[in-house]
Amino acid sequence: MATVLATDRRHSDATRAREPDATGFIERDGVRVFWERYGDGSPTLLLMPTWSLFHSRHWKLQIPYFARLFRVVTFDGRGNGHSDRPTESSAYADTEYVADALAVLDATGTDRAVVAGLSMGAGYTLRLAAEHPERVLGAVFIGSSVPILDRPDGGPEVQVDAAFYGPQEPEGDWRNYNADYWRRDFPGFAAWFVGEKIFSEPHSTKPIEDGIGWTLETDAETLIAVEPGPYLWPPPEWGPRDPFEGRAMPFARRVRCPALVIHGAEDRLSSLAVGERLAAELGAPLITVAGGGHAPQGRWPVLVNRAIRDFVRSIGSQP
Amino acid sequence: MSAIVPTIAPRTTWTSYMARRRRALYISSPIGLGHAQRDVSIADELRRLRPDVEIDWLAQSPVTTVLEDRGERIHPMSAELASESAHWTSEAFDHDLNAFQALRRMDEILLTNFMVFLDVLEEGEYDLVIGDESWDVDHYLHENPELKNTAFAWLTDFVGMLPMPSGGEREAFLTTDYNAEMIEHVERFPRIRDRAIFVGTPDDIVPDDFGPGLPSIRAWTEQHYDFSGYITGFDPSPLIERREELRRELGYQPDERVVIVTVGGSGVGGSLLRRVIASYPDAARRVNGLRMIAVAGPRIDPASLDAVPGVEVRAYVPELYKHLAACDLAVVQGGLTTTMELAAARRPFLYFPLRDHFEQSRHVRHRLERYGAGRHMDYDASPPEVIATAIAEEIDRPVASRPVESDGAARAAELIAPLV
Repeated sequence: MATVLATDRRHSDATRAREPDATGFIERDGVRVFWERYGDGSPTLLLMPTWSLFHSRHWKLQIPYFARLFRVVTFDGRGNGHSDRPTESSAYADTEYVADALAVLDATGTDRAVVAGLSMGAGYTLRLAAEHPERVLGAVFIGSSVPILDRPDGGPEVQVDAAFYGPQEPEGDWRNYNADYWRRDFPGFAAWFVGEKIFSEPHSTKPIEDGIGWTLETDAETLIAVEPGPYLWPPPEWGPRDPFEGRAMPFARRVRCPALVIHGAEDRLSSLAVGERLAAELGAPLITVAGGGHAPQGRWPVLVNRAIRDFVRSIGSQP
Repeated sequence: MSAIVPTIAPRTTWTSYMARRRRALYISSPIGLGHAQRDVSIADELRRLRPDVEIDWLAQSPVTTVLEDRGERIHPMSAELASESAHWTSEAFDHDLNAFQALRRMDEILLTNFMVFLDVLEEGEYDLVIGDESWDVDHYLHENPELKNTAFAWLTDFVGMLPMPSGGEREAFLTTDYNAEMIEHVERFPRIRDRAIFVGTPDDIVPDDFGPGLPSIRAWTEQHYDFSGYITGFDPSPLIERREELRRELGYQPDERVVIVTVGGSGVGGSLLRRVIASYPDAARRVNGLRMIAVAGPRIDPASLDAVPGVEVRAYVPELYKHLAACDLAVVQGGLTTTMELAAARRPFLYFPLRDHFEQSRHVRHRLERYGAGRHMDYDASPPEVIATAIAEEIDRPVASRPVESDGAARAAELIAPLV
C-alpha cells in the first residue's frame, strides 16, 4: 500500500449529501459531546461512536440513506470531532460512551432506537444493549472488536499490552501500535493503521484519506489517554467469571433484542472468528463479507446499507 | 375506546410479460450543462425507433430545467437526489476546478444517489437503464453485480482519469488506481454494461495510457465501446445557413464585430470574465467596430465584473446558442458542450480550460484539436494584452475546422434500442 499523504485541508469539510436537521451538545461531568439528528421517520437508528480514532463521519455513507428511510441520531465520541478531549483515561471508559449515548437519546427525544456500532463501537453497542434493553430495539455489530473468543490459558487479562508503553520495537507487524511512536509520528501512525489495518482492500484510497483526516482531527496524547480506558469488563455484581471465556461473553448473554452481525473475512484487526462467535452467542444472523476488511460500512456501503435496512424493517414489522 | 382500524395485509402486483410496457429509466448527469440536451435528443431518436417506450428521468438541476420545458416525465424520487452541481460549485474557485478530486470527494453524494436509484429500480419494472455519465450507477453496479436487474446502456464522452501536473506523483498514483479499478470492474463483469457508448469517434480519444502498467486508453476503449460520433443535441446547419439573417434578428450591425464572452451557468468564471473584459480597450484599438458582450449568467453578479466602457454586461441572454452562432468570435471556458456547439456552428473561439480540470485540459482539448476548432488559451499565461492579441488574430481567421457530425443521437439510439 502506497503511503497516503495528509488530506487536503481546504476540502476537509467537503459537501455533504445531507445536512443534519438538528445538532447540539450534551454535557456530562464537564465533558461536552456533539450530536446530530437527521430525518423524521421511524424508527430511530442510533449510529454509535467507535474508537476515538474516528468521529461520526465514519457513518457518512449511511447517514443520508437512513435519514431518508428512518430517523438517524449520531454523535462524535469523546476524544474526537466536535466533542471534548478529556485528558484522564477514566473519562474514556466504555460506560462513559454508553452514558453519552443515553444522554444523546434523551436530548433528541428518542425513547428507543436500533443501534449500530463499528469495531469498538460494536463493544459500546453490546454494553448498551445488555445493560439498557429498554432503550434498544435491535443491535447491529460491524467489524466487532470485542474480547469474546475463548482464553485457553485462563491467565490474567490486561487492558493494554506492555509493548504499547515501552520503546518502539524495531520490527513486528504491530510495532507502530506504540505510544512513543504516536508521539513522534502521529500522521505516520494514522497512515499505517487506517491504510493497512482498517481499509485493507484494494482501491480504497478515498476511505483511507477520509480516515486519516478524521484521525488527524484528534492527537497522540488524546489517543494515549483513551488506550487504558476500561472496555467490556463485566460488573462485579454479575458474579464470578469463567476465566476461560472472553470477557465480552457475559454481555452477549444478556442481550435480548434482535441482532445482526456483519464481519469482513479479511479483517486484519478483529478476525472473522470474533464475528462468528458473537453471532452464535446472540443467535443473530451473520453476514460475512468475503474479501472484506475491518470497516465494510465504508468500503462496501451498498451491502451494509441494504442489510441494515432489511434488519430495521424486520424489527418494525415484529408484533 | 380506540377506533377499530382494519388491518390490511400487504398487496402486491406482479406483471406478466404481456402486460408489461416498455420502460426505460434515463439518468442524465447534472455535471456541466451539456448532458441534458444530448440526452433528450437521444430520447427522441429512441422513441422514433420504439414508439411505445416510456421514459422516466431520474435527474436533478440543471437537467430538470430542460426536461420540464419539454414536458418529460421526471421520476418523483428525483427530489431525493443529493445535489451534484452544488458540490461542483463548492469545489471551484477563481479559474480552478480539480475535476478528478472533485469527483472523488463526491463519494458521499454518489453513494446516496445510488441508493435512491436502487429504490427507484425496485418499484419501477424498468427494462432498461440509460446512464449518461451516471458515475454512481456504473461504479456501484460493478461493485454489487447481483443488484443489476435491467439492461444497462452507459454513455460517456471521455474515458480515463488523467493526472494534472499540479497533483504531482500522488495524483498520478490515484488516477492510475481509479483507472485500474474501472478496468477490473468492466473486464470482470462484462454483463453490467450491455452497451457502452463513447460519444465521439476513436480519434477523439486521448493518446495516453491509463497509467503505468495499464493499457492504452484508445486501444482499450475501442475494444470495450461502441462509437456514436459527437451528439450536438441540435442541428447546426440551419444556423449556419441563416447566419446573416440571425445577426439582423439579434440586432447586430453588418459592420460590427461581435465578441461574446460566456462562462456557462456555473459560478465559476467570474475571474475569466473580468480578465476578458479588461482586454477590451486593447482589443478595440486593434479591431474596428469591436463590440463585446459579456454574459454573467445566473450565479455571477454583473456589477462585480468591473465593466469598462464599450462592454455590455448582461445577466442573462435568452437563446444564447443563437448569439454564439451569429457572433464573430466567442471567448469561453473549456467545457465540451459549449466549445463543440461553437465548432458545430463553425465560429472561431478562444477557450480557457479550467486550471487542474483534466477533462477540459486533456480530453476536450484533444478533441477540439482533432476538429481543428478553437484556439486553446492558458489562463495563467494570458493577461489582458495576450487575450486582446488573440482576439485580433482569431476574429478574421477563416474557420477551417472539420464539420461536426449531426447524426450522433440517432446512432446512439440505434445502439440502445435493441435493449428495450
